[in-house]
Parts: sequence; C-alpha cells; structure tokens
Amino acid sequence: MKVLGIESSAHTFGVGIVEDGKVIANEKMMFKVTNKGMIPGKVAETHVKNAAKVVSLALKSAGVRIGEIDGVGYTRGPGLGPCLQVGEMTAKTIANKLGVKIAQVNHGAAHAEISRELAGMKDPLILYVSGGNSQILKLSKSPFSHYAILGETFDIGVGNMMDTFAREVGLNPAWGSTVAKVGESGKYIKLPYTVKGMDFAFTGLLTNSIKRAKSEKIEDLCYSIQETAFSMLCEATERAIFLTNSTELCVCGGVAQSKRLRQMLGEIAKSHAMKFGYAADSFNADNGAMIAFVAERMLGKGLGSKIGECGIEQRYRIDRAVIV
Amino acid sequence: MKLLGEGAEAKIYSLNIFNTDLIAKVRIKKEYRIEQIDSELRESRTRKEAKVLHTLAKFGVNAPRLVALGKYTLYTSKLEGKLLKDIELEAKEFVKMGEQLALMHNANISHGDFTPANIMKCGKEYFIIDFGLSEISNSQEEKAIDLLLIKRSIDSKRYAGLLKGYAKSSKNSKEILERLEEIEKRGRYQVRTLG
Repeated sequence: MKVLGIESSAHTFGVGIVEDGKVIANEKMMFKVTNKGMIPGKVAETHVKNAAKVVSLALKSAGVRIGEIDGVGYTRGPGLGPCLQVGEMTAKTIANKLGVKIAQVNHGAAHAEISRELAGMKDPLILYVSGGNSQILKLSKSPFSHYAILGETFDIGVGNMMDTFAREVGLNPAWGSTVAKVGESGKYIKLPYTVKGMDFAFTGLLTNSIKRAKSEKIEDLCYSIQETAFSMLCEATERAIFLTNSTELCVCGGVAQSKRLRQMLGEIAKSHAMKFGYAADSFNADNGAMIAFVAERMLGKGLGSKIGECGIEQRYRIDRAVIV
Repeated sequence: MKLLGEGAEAKIYSLNIFNTDLIAKVRIKKEYRIEQIDSELRESRTRKEAKVLHTLAKFGVNAPRLVALGKYTLYTSKLEGKLLKDIELEAKEFVKMGEQLALMHNANISHGDFTPANIMKCGKEYFIIDFGLSEISNSQEEKAIDLLLIKRSIDSKRYAGLLKGYAKSSKNSKEILERLEEIEKRGRYQVRTLG
C-alpha cells in the first residue's frame, strides 16, 4: 500500500509518502520564522501557496504517479486552525480525485509512533517535546489502545517557551536553537524551577527570564533557561521511569533535536540501564512522513474516513487517538 | 547503613545509632543536570522537608520525627508498621486516617502524593510518610488534590470513612470539599495547549 500523508499543524507544510511501513518521500516547505512569531492566517496563506508544489515534490522524489496512491492521511489536530484547514483541504482534494479513503491523524501520536518505529522500540516511555506540547507518554491498552499522558505541562510547551523568550529579548531567528547557541558561553544564574510530580510549568521561568533580561547578560540567561527547563523535563521523566519500570526511553518532537536534551536523557537512561533512542532530525521536526506512516496503519485496519466525515480539531488530545 | 529503597529523588537507608533505629533519606546527585541546579534542588528540598516534619510534630500529626538534618540528608525516627497498599482494611478504619489528613491540612501542609503507598499502619495508629512533594501553604487547591489522590486510590466505601474523620477534625472541610468538586468538574486533563 502507498499512502500519502500531509502535515500542516504549524509553520511546516510537509508531505510524505510511505509504502508498506517504509518512508519513500518526505518533503516540506516552511513559513519563514523571523522574530515576529506566527500569525495563523498568514502561515495558512503560505501553506496554500506551497501545497501543490510540496505534493508534486514528494511524488517526484518517491518516483510515484499520483494515480498509484492508495490512501491519504492528514493532521486532524492539535494545531493552528487555519493551518490545519489547508492540510485537510489538500487531503480531501486528492482523495476526491483518486476515490480513496482518508485517515485523520493525531499530530503527537504521529511523532511518537514514527519515533518508536525508527528507534526500534516496543513499549518505550516517551518524552514528547515540541513548540506546543510537552508530555510524558506510555502506551496503554485500556479502555482502548492509546498513549496515556503520565505527565505534562500545566501551561505552555517547552519549545514555545524558548521561542517566546528569544523573541522578547530580540534574538533572530527566534527559536530554541538560537537560545542554545547564544547560551554556549553563558554562566548559570538561578531561575524559577517548577515540577509537581510528573507535571511541570514553564510560564514562571519565562516571565522571570524576560524580566531579568534588563539586568543580566543575555548569554547567561540563554544558558540558564535551557538548563533549567531541560532539568525540569528530565526530573519528571525520571519519576515516570520509576512509576512504570520502563526499559526503553525515547524522545520525540521538535525539541528532541536538541543535543543537550538528548545528552541529559541519555545520562538518565544509562543510570537505569535503559535503552535510549530517537528518530533522525527530519522526523522530529514537523513532517508529512510521520502522518503517512500512521495513516497507512489506520487505513490497513479500516479506520479510514469518507470526505464528508473529515474535520479539524485544534485541541485534539493525544490520549483520545486510537493507536493501531 | 542498610539500603531500604530507592525513589526518583532519594535513597532510603536504615541505621542504628546509640541503640536507636533511624531512617536516613539521602537526596542523590543526578549526573544529568549541572552542579549548581543539582545541589540547589537537593539542599532546598531537604530543608523544606525538614521544616514540614518540624511543623507536623508541632501540630501533633502522626509522621516520622525529625532527628537530625544534613546538607542533603534527613534523619528521622524509624516507624514499625505496614504500608496501607500492602494490607486490607475495613471502611471504619479509614476514619482515623481522615483525622490525620485533616490535622496535617490544619497545619497548612499539603502532602502532594497522598496515596496508600505513603500511609503506614503502626499498631492502632496511622502515620503519614514521605513528604518529598509536600507544600507549606494554605492553598485549598493543594489540599483538595490530596483528597482527590486518595479518592482515586481507594473504593467509595473506604473513602466515605476517610471523609467522616476528615470532616470531624478539619477546620474548613466544607470549602476544601467544594474545591475538590470544582477540580473534578474541571477535568484536569481536558483543555490544554495547542500543538
């Protein structure tokens, strides 16, 4: 089976093609992030312009004609409404032309599932960290097969927190990797640290760091905000390891591209004699291949929808998505 | 020192000094985080837990007694008993447990992990243990979460017994129970951030 997947929940419009569980294309075009943040409507406009181009690119790099596609998948949510709609429309258009079924995929579940596959793991504890999400996940069988949320952020995602900080203090491009780079020469200063069991909160850390940008060196703040945020994530993760007795640890999502976070989690895994793994960066950044990957499994189990049954859901929680 | 157990944060040892059995809770170094964060967290949490134990003793709550305080280590009295999670108890026995919870809340301390794994039956008395996640504040939210945690871990008959004791000894059980109802309606994990 050849399935085409579309991802458009945030700044990336991605199209991937999967054949029998193997990724044969993964193309994307991104809204250019500067230091002004993202206005959903504007990002969606860019996606509309790029949509057809990215679909063609993916077909070309897979060496597949559109008529050979057996099914389509897209991100139902969570994400920015106008952006999700572009993906939904693209999927419906293709499905209508080909007369195939559509899989409505949960964005977070797609990150977790492709990472679990590519890291070669069966039942890992998963730290899912991206712009909008920060959750500790584990597969659960009851009442249906899904990712249970063991712990999560009380307010904003860790990526969003770092991006906002970068924007407020004038870094460009305003995102986490810039913060990491500037922080390389920084020294530690104490910042708010909030962990409650397996949950955590980031807004206290964010507002305090922004406030102190007037009096502290920017590189010190960059270093400290990253060390503090990642230590919080790691502490909550380690508590979840004790609770679940997991033997595998996996990190996924945009922030999983951070070398420092991987190093810290690797250290934890080592101290518990656990296997530690993650997918290549192109699958941790938002991408269409992960959507295609999950869509193929869903369609194979008869979980496809007709065009009229499709929709988007900005707050589609991962624990409501059925994992097959 | 004999290792009794290990949690995410600390190792628990038993030791005997001058013919007295003691428990040592040592917050262990975590290699993954930088030295400054590591020592700051371990030290401040050890101090906070000591303050909690001190306050509990003052208010007559059944809890381990603080004996000594190191930089990263708490030394407390050793309790002899069985954890609630390992024994079967009747509903009426939960009344006393509710009283202890109320006394703790009257002292403006919330436990943060009030489950059968952290309640010990010693003779006829019930003791609350492990204050690693506790908070010193009069927040009704935190107190209501203690009730929510125990409500989720025991059946409704036993919970009713616990509530009976709680209502009897608590200074403001009405407000806290109202807050609990609100939290349950809120559905903690219903609405959160975007992806």
